[in-house]
Amino acid sequence: MQVFDYTVPAVEVTDLTQRFGAVLAVDRVSLSIPAGMCYGIVGPNGAGKTTTLTAMCGLREPTSGTVRIAGHDLRTDRQAALAQLGIMMDGLSLPERLTATEVLRYSAGLRGLDDSWRVRAEDLLEILGLDATRRALIVEYSTGMRKKINLALAMLHRPRVLVLDEPFEAIDPVSARSIEQVLTQYVAAGGTVVMSSHMMDFVERNCRRVALVAGGRVLVEGPVDEVAANGTLNERFVELVGADPVRPLRWLT
Amino acid sequence: MTRALFALKLRLLRNGPHNERGFSLVTGMALAALVVVGAAVANRGLLHEGWIAVALTGWGGMWLFGPLTQPRHDPSVISRDWLRGYPLRPWRAARALSWTELLGVGPLVTLTCLSSLVVLAAPGGLTAATIGAVAMVAQLYLLVWAGKTVAVIAAWLLQTRAGMRLAATQTAVMLALSFAGWVPIAAWLLPRLGQSDTTLVLPTFGQLPAPIIDVLALLPTGWGYRAAIAARDNAGTEAVVVPLMALLALGALLHMGWTTLTARALRRPPRLVTPRRPHAPGRGLSLPFTTPQVSAVVSRELATWSRDPARGVELRSAWLTPLLMALIIGVTDWSWALPLVGSAAAVFGAMVAVNTYALDGTALWQLLTTPGALQADVRGRMAAWFLLFGVPSIVLAAVLWAVTRSPLGVVAISGAIAAAAVACAVAPLIALLMPAVGTDARDRRYPGQRAGDPTGGQMTIFPVVLLGAILPGIIGTTTGGHLWTPVLAAILLAAVSLSLTPTLTARLLQRRGASLLDVMVSSDAALLHRNRRHRWGYPGGWG
Repeated sequence: MQVFDYTVPAVEVTDLTQRFGAVLAVDRVSLSIPAGMCYGIVGPNGAGKTTTLTAMCGLREPTSGTVRIAGHDLRTDRQAALAQLGIMMDGLSLPERLTATEVLRYSAGLRGLDDSWRVRAEDLLEILGLDATRRALIVEYSTGMRKKINLALAMLHRPRVLVLDEPFEAIDPVSARSIEQVLTQYVAAGGTVVMSSHMMDFVERNCRRVALVAGGRVLVEGPVDEVAANGTLNERFVELVGADPVRPLRWLT
Repeated sequence: MTRALFALKLRLLRNGPHNERGFSLVTGMALAALVVVGAAVANRGLLHEGWIAVALTGWGGMWLFGPLTQPRHDPSVISRDWLRGYPLRPWRAARALSWTELLGVGPLVTLTCLSSLVVLAAPGGLTAATIGAVAMVAQLYLLVWAGKTVAVIAAWLLQTRAGMRLAATQTAVMLALSFAGWVPIAAWLLPRLGQSDTTLVLPTFGQLPAPIIDVLALLPTGWGYRAAIAARDNAGTEAVVVPLMALLALGALLHMGWTTLTARALRRPPRLVTPRRPHAPGRGLSLPFTTPQVSAVVSRELATWSRDPARGVELRSAWLTPLLMALIIGVTDWSWALPLVGSAAAVFGAMVAVNTYALDGTALWQLLTTPGALQADVRGRMAAWFLLFGVPSIVLAAVLWAVTRSPLGVVAISGAIAAAAVACAVAPLIALLMPAVGTDARDRRYPGQRAGDPTGGQMTIFPVVLLGAILPGIIGTTTGGHLWTPVLAAILLAAVSLSLTPTLTARLLQRRGASLLDVMVSSDAALLHRNRRHRWGYPGGWG
């Protein structure tokens, strides 16, 4: 991994606003994510988590506000900022007609990496259990395998910051475990993980800080224990977001 | 159920995209009106009625072969997948669905065209005209079910590798006939054009030979015509009834066949084809004069062209079409024109490469988030195109020149070089500006799945590359200079296109890449235009 300067936040989002016509998806969100930790962004569906992450990794220009990655402004110093990032977005394609080895080689070539990528690629394929299906094309992959190859691609160039959108969504516990273990090692080595998730137990277990967003705004942000406020994160989530009581459905009885 | 499905189809037609349907309606009605007017003119003896048989055969041919020429399209409006989720008996659902198939532009314009049978029969009196009307309906019944059955079989075939090859061959045959089918006629009219002799041999368009009309009337597409003419000429009950009964019987048989195939499709989901896997993961390319980034993109592109089902069909048809064109031209007296097929190959190569960004779909995110990847991607796509289509085009022109020793050899080679360079430079630009978005790459398994209709992009690049191909020849002719003037013009044109266009494409990709990704995510190409006007539209589908 690259040499870290822990005094500079890994990700700094200031007054980020994202508007789509009349829809205000993200409303003046500000986050300062210190380096060397796992940072969780949780919130209900449509809260603006993915939109925030999308702006954070330069896939969408925000309506207003700034994003800095390891001190580099995404707008004015885009190439340097992108070089710090490893990204895993949910529901997007990859070069689908390549095998896992081919897609890793492609990514290494595209980034102009030196030959040491080969060792890292072999390690990632082995640890994530993708080495058994070397001839399979990405288009044939299951959801879990897609998450794993995306993670391998995100980590191949040893970025300072990993931005992961729903890394545990719709995958089996075994795949989730191997992803979790890789992420734990990455953070232990000084990397920063910024991830959105609905898996509250994972966030509680692995993240040091968490931001709870709803309606495009940050409702509460801080160390996980403080946000959970002597309960579980899940209870606090429901308390802050609010859950309407479900009336009994007579036609079910 | 039939009523519910009818209402559903009407709503789908009303709310769906109208551009293509509107174009088909206007064009189809204009052609149908021509056939009806032709029948009225034939009744006055100004045109031989056999031409109406020819027109009706051509029309029927469109029903039969049309579904095979568009391997990218799923012809069904009401989704079979959606119906599969309901607890309906498949046979009953298929039978109800079958009547909704009569609702559409195709049956409407065909009915208009077939009203020429009523016009043809009308001089025989009211009874003859009534029989003409029955023939019209019976012929429509046969054509609709023949076309629908072919479409269902084609859709099933396209889920197999053999079907992919068949689709590519079929497309190539149709393209070759469309682009070179006129050559035998032109060679017949101008047999000595190769010796610069422009003497026109005028054929007579009077009466068609009787055996030709007899053969056309014997084909199922001519049975309605046969009944109408027999009714007009009072040729006896048998001459009228036999073709009408044959139309209805074969139509009913095809209707039943379609219902059976559709019921089978409703009973079980389509079998997913295993994509062609590499024997061993491909090795990375190391190309001369390129950066490792560009080489990486070239490797990706070469693998994708050979493995992506939609691109695979296009690749095969683009390679096969010029060869078939050469075959058509080679058997005429115009073999001197053969080297020009090299330029045509570049044109076809360009036309099949105008939608690569949309076919790769949301994989664009990786390029947008990798430093320096956009420029490498544009140049890599160009280099891969040049290897797959550009070099073969120039080599084809050179080989055909060597074989025919045509006086047009230098012009043809120059045209192929210029066309290849222009196509290579412009194809990624058109792919960026006019994406025809369909099913995202991760969900596409076989070519029958909706992969976007790039007709707009193809119609745009066709004249551009064609102009590139003929420009060296025009410059050579107008300057009246040295034999090598076209070659110099081609090299200059190639240098200009290859140096300026990629920079423009990469800049546009940098500016519009995020909007393009939104388009891929939402599968709504109109978003790109809205984003251009309003900066951002709401990209439904993210997250």
